Amino acid sequence: MNKIPSGQQAPMGSGESTLKRVLIVDDEETLTFSLYQMFINSDIDCQVVTAASGEEALERLSEQMFDLVITDLAMPGLDGLQLLAAIKRKTPQTHVIVITAYGTDERRDRAFQLGADYYLEKPFDIHELRTLVFKMIGRPWR
Amino acid sequence: MASYSKKQNRSFPLRRNVSHDTAGGDSLRFPEDEVHFSGHLDSGQIELIKRLYFFYKSIIQNINAGLLALDFHGRIIFANRRAGTLLGISPRDLLRRTFQEFLETEAQGAQVAGWFRVPGKGVDNVEVHLRRADGKKFIAGLSISPLEDARNQFSGVVLLIHDLTETYRLRRQVERMERLALLGELAAGIAHEIRNPMAGIKASAQILLEELPDDDYRRQLMTRIIREVDKSNGLLTEFFKFARPTRPKPNFHDIELIIDSVYLLLAPRLRNRNIRFKKQFEENLPRVYVDEHQIEQVILNLFLNAMDAMVEGGTLTVRTRKRELSLVEQKQAGVKLTGEKLGYILVEVQDTGPGIPEKLLERIFNPFFTTKPEGLGLGLSICTRLVEENRGKLDVVSKLGEGTTFIVALPTFSRAIPRGMP
Repeated sequence: MNKIPSGQQAPMGSGESTLKRVLIVDDEETLTFSLYQMFINSDIDCQVVTAASGEEALERLSEQMFDLVITDLAMPGLDGLQLLAAIKRKTPQTHVIVITAYGTDERRDRAFQLGADYYLEKPFDIHELRTLVFKMIGRPWR
Repeated sequence: MASYSKKQNRSFPLRRNVSHDTAGGDSLRFPEDEVHFSGHLDSGQIELIKRLYFFYKSIIQNINAGLLALDFHGRIIFANRRAGTLLGISPRDLLRRTFQEFLETEAQGAQVAGWFRVPGKGVDNVEVHLRRADGKKFIAGLSISPLEDARNQFSGVVLLIHDLTETYRLRRQVERMERLALLGELAAGIAHEIRNPMAGIKASAQILLEELPDDDYRRQLMTRIIREVDKSNGLLTEFFKFARPTRPKPNFHDIELIIDSVYLLLAPRLRNRNIRFKKQFEENLPRVYVDEHQIEQVILNLFLNAMDAMVEGGTLTVRTRKRELSLVEQKQAGVKLTGEKLGYILVEVQDTGPGIPEKLLERIFNPFFTTKPEGLGLGLSICTRLVEENRGKLDVVSKLGEGTTFIVALPTFSRAIPRGMP
C-alpha cells in the first residue's frame, strides 16, 4: 500500500494567496490516505497534513495555522472533542468537520457546542464531504 | 418467648392482673405481661387462653404465605389456609398427605429428607418445583426452620411457602432486558470498529470511481463496493437503534391519535392483504406521557407483525383501556409517590393468526430471533427497548389456532401535570 507517513505534506498549489492548509486527523489510516488523495487531486490549492492521533494533531497545530481540520472523534489518547476545543481556543476561524463512527445525539450536540462546523457519520459520502469542503475553503478568501 | 419454659412444663404465658373488661372487646391485642400458670384454671384464665388461641390462629391463618408443619417423615401435621390454597387442597385434607407428594420430582424428595437430618439447623431457604393437587405446577420458595416440641426437642420442620411464579416472571423480564442491553452494547462496540474501516473503503471506492471513464466496466465493480458498504452500514444502524436508543422526549399524547396515524399509514396494505381492522377504544382515556415517535414506531412494528402473522387475511384488533396502579404496585414499581396517581394505558394489538407455540414465546423478544425469511429479528427487541425507555412494559399472550395479542402498557398520570409541561 502506498503509505503516507504522518505529517507528510502534499505538493503546494500554484497561487500562494489561495493556498489552503488542511489537517486530517484519524487513527484509521485508510481513511486519512483516501482523504489525502481526494484533496491533492482536487481543484483546491491546498497543503494537506495528516495526523494519526489527537496529540500529533496538536503538534501540527502548534507549527502552523490551518484553514480546515477534519477530525475523528474516538481516538486513543486525546480525543476529537478535546482537539476541537483546543483548535477553537487557539484559532477560532479554523473550520472543523467532525467525522465519527460512533454517533450519538449527545456527542453531536457537544461537538456543535464546541464550535464544530459540520458533523458527519462514517461511512460518509465523499461527495457530501467535498461539497462541505468547497463551501468552506473552495473559494479564495475575500 | 423464651420463658415458655423448661422449668414449668405445660405453662402458658398469661397476662397478669387480668381484667376482663380491658382484655375483652373484639380487639386482637397481645398481652404484654406474662405470667406462668400451672394447675387449675379459673374461668378468666380460660377466657384468656381462648383469646390467645384466636390471636395466634388469626396470625397463622391470615399470613400471606403457606404454613406447614411436618413431622420427621414429611407427614403434614399442620397446614394453614393459604397452604391449602397454594397446594389446591383443603388444609384438612392436607393432614392426610406427605409434603413429598407435592414435589415435582423424586430428586427433590431426597432434598426434603435432608432437611430432617440436621436437627436444630437454622432457617434455610430453597426454591422447589411443586405440583398442586390439580396437577398444575408452580415454583415455590420455601423457608425451612426446625419445629420444636414443648420440651425443646427437635420434632420436625416448619415450612413457609411462597408462590414465586410472579417473581420468576418479573425476573425473566429483567433478564430479557439485561440480555438485550448486553447484546446492544456489544453491537455498538462492533459497529464502531466496523464503521471505521468501512469509511475508508467507501471513500477510496468513491474517489476511484470518479477517475474511471463512463463506459469503463470497472465502474460497476466500484459501484457495487459502495453499495455493499452502505448495505452493511444499514445493518449496523439497526443494531445501533437498540444499543443506544435516543433518549425519549416524552410529552402528553393522545394514544388514539398515535394509533390512528399508524393505521392511516397501513390502511391500503391492510385492504390488500384482506385484513379487517377493528378499533375498541375506551372512552375518556387520560393522555399517555411518552415519546410520540418512539411509541409510533412500536405500534407500527406490532401492526406489521400482526399483518405478517395473517397470511390468509383475518382481523387486526386494537384495544385501549385504562389500568390504575394501586399504591402498593406503585411502590413496587419504584415510583416516587408524589400524590399523582400513576396508571397505565394498555394498548392491545391482537391478530387472528396461527399463534405462537409456548416454547417460542419467550424467545421472540430475543434479538436476531425471527421466523421470517427476510427478517433481521430485531423488531420486537427494539420494541421492548423503546417501551422500557418510555417507562412502559411490553408483554404477549398467544394461543395456538386463535392468535396472538401484544400488550403495551404506557404510563399516564391521571391528575396533575408535572411542572414545566404544557
